[in-house]
Amino acid sequence: MTKDLAMTDRDANERFLRLNAALDGELDAMASLAFEREMRDDPALAAEYERLAALRDAIRRHSPREAAPQSLQDRIAALVPPPGAAAAAVPFRRRAWLDARALALAASLAVLGFAAGAGLMSLRAPSSDVARTLVSDFASAAIAGQPFDVASSDRHTVKPWLAGRATVSANIVDLAGFPLVGGRIAVVDRIPAPTLVYRHNEHLIAVTELPPDFKGARAGGGIETIDGYHVARWRDANLAYVAVSDADETALAEFVVAFRHAAGAATEPAPP
Amino acid sequence: MTDPVAERRFREIVPPLLDDAYTLAKWLSRSPTDAEDIVQDAALRALSALSTVAVDRPKPWFLAIVRNAAMTFMARNRRETVAYAGDLTDLDALDSRGGGEAAPNPEQALIAAQDGERLRQAIANLPSPFLETLVMRDVSGLSYREIAAATEAPVGTVMSRLARARASLAKTLGTEP
Repeated sequence: MTKDLAMTDRDANERFLRLNAALDGELDAMASLAFEREMRDDPALAAEYERLAALRDAIRRHSPREAAPQSLQDRIAALVPPPGAAAAAVPFRRRAWLDARALALAASLAVLGFAAGAGLMSLRAPSSDVARTLVSDFASAAIAGQPFDVASSDRHTVKPWLAGRATVSANIVDLAGFPLVGGRIAVVDRIPAPTLVYRHNEHLIAVTELPPDFKGARAGGGIETIDGYHVARWRDANLAYVAVSDADETALAEFVVAFRHAAGAATEPAPP
Repeated sequence: MTDPVAERRFREIVPPLLDDAYTLAKWLSRSPTDAEDIVQDAALRALSALSTVAVDRPKPWFLAIVRNAAMTFMARNRRETVAYAGDLTDLDALDSRGGGEAAPNPEQALIAAQDGERLRQAIANLPSPFLETLVMRDVSGLSYREIAAATEAPVGTVMSRLARARASLAKTLGTEP
């Protein structure tokens, strides 16, 4: 090792760093070329390289990547529900009821001769799916104590938050008696839709805004009751709206009138 | 209600990296149970971060979160010296011997022998900065630059930690009876 003795610590250190970098494929093309030439001319260097490679191989062999335990995988999977899980998680009893309801709805649509093509493609009427999804969203958000993801009474805060996440630009209005409390995103038919959450006394009203040609959109009409929640649907020139609330029918109706009036400043009124 | 965009990104990114994450967390905490808690905490952090960031290179990104979660966990739950910095005395001593010489002369036969337990013990004894660098490189296959980003250290520091970690392992294996 006379050659090594001649080296300073620093040279030796650099030499060893370079050996590691070569082993890890971190030398650039020219440096690799130079290194290979040196190895050819310097058997001691080549031997060191071999030893280091043997060590690296031993580390890989004896401390392999370990499989995450199933319990951990389950915990991680539970953090995000798989797409479509919301529907699957609906208890059987309720599903049966909803299917019956979908049938009834499809029948009534047929009688009205309304949405003849798309509406009857399947017995599960799309408008029922939309309402069901949003009611289920509303209920789970209320149960989880998280009715919104962005909490703000300032529409200039809520709007950009929603804009970064939804494909539809949200129409947000300020309403007397129904303060805005926040916003969240509802996923309807895989489309992220802005949802505004307003408060009325102890109750919440969540308005989801959808493209006007969305298949579950509806021109307007009365208030339905789904699973104990009240649902109102209407449409203007730019957007279709679905409001879900735990407030009583009268309060929701008042809200809808106020909302349509405020939003209608820029848009034509929808037909009844 | 969480952000559906974040959830989608999460489903794409995190589950395929759980093995790497768990392995790193287990080495750093020296405990399989703690490792599960650390990875779960890291996953929660990742989920919330994914609302606002799109990730180009998931592996170094997520391993950085795991590593930070491990640091937090250990600071909070351990009183003794399993802290991040660890004891550098051994490695400093190695360094002073000069790299070329320190590159040990472990008998190849010894390494090749099935004495995996001793090697694992030697790895476990590495101070955390060296341990995490070694695991990210030799288990998870990150590049120097990716390790530098994940451990918030300059590339030169990564190179020297890795070299010193390997030198230390080789020394341990080569000098022990």
